[in-house]
Amino acid sequence: MKRIEVKLSLPVVAPLLDVIKSLSDTMGRTLSAPLTIADLDPEFREDWTAELLEAQTSDVGVLLALFDDEFFSEGVIALDEKNAEPVVRACAAVRLRLRENYLKGIADEALESSDLELEELAEPVRKAFMCYLFLATLQELIIQHLDSTILEG
Amino acid sequence: MAYFAEHNPHTSPESHGATALALEGIWRVVVLNDPVNLMSYVVMVFKKVFGFDETTARRHMLEVHEQGRSVVWSGLREKAEAYAFTLQQWHLTAVLEPDEAH
Repeated sequence: MKRIEVKLSLPVVAPLLDVIKSLSDTMGRTLSAPLTIADLDPEFREDWTAELLEAQTSDVGVLLALFDDEFFSEGVIALDEKNAEPVVRACAAVRLRLRENYLKGIADEALESSDLELEELAEPVRKAFMCYLFLATLQELIIQHLDSTILEG
Repeated sequence: MAYFAEHNPHTSPESHGATALALEGIWRVVVLNDPVNLMSYVVMVFKKVFGFDETTARRHMLEVHEQGRSVVWSGLREKAEAYAFTLQQWHLTAVLEPDEAH
């Protein structure tokens, strides 16, 4: 099984997990990317939404499970063929939610380029933005090293 | 008819028929831009969902990024809905549009 281990800075990453955990409570209630398809049968829409919410919640659970005892003792997380796909999706869902809840005041261009002065941001926004960048880094790692396992899966 | 209307306040055979007719024909799956998802992520999702090669996936991603939208598939409504659902699972924003050329 293809697997990569990533050594993270415990003092930097551990506080960001609180942000993800606080958001994860709401991930089962609303979709991170709102359903934008018109003309759907209402019953069908309801079923779709329920299924998408279940998948979203499950993916975020897999993301949070990365940060286990090994992470808190060694700072290491392991990405493999089994968790790569749910984790890369969960990162997208949480990043969208971070933008919705904390980063709306930041212009799209600045958010896309990540060209921001961290010191100028208020504490909750700064922490959310750090989390936003961290999850993007996780996504990049997965796409760079485990892309083929996702495409073939 | 009155019985049907009373128990189904939001539909009638006529409106159901009209809806079915409106959903016929060719539909486009259009992916819309968002400032959050990474370009590399969008490319990977396009490859995964539509089986695009790298060049095609990148072309559609750049269309989304630069023009705000890209038509990634067109065909029957049912399959278009299935693609839209899958894109939604990957947290990309997609809409369905009737293809007026058909």
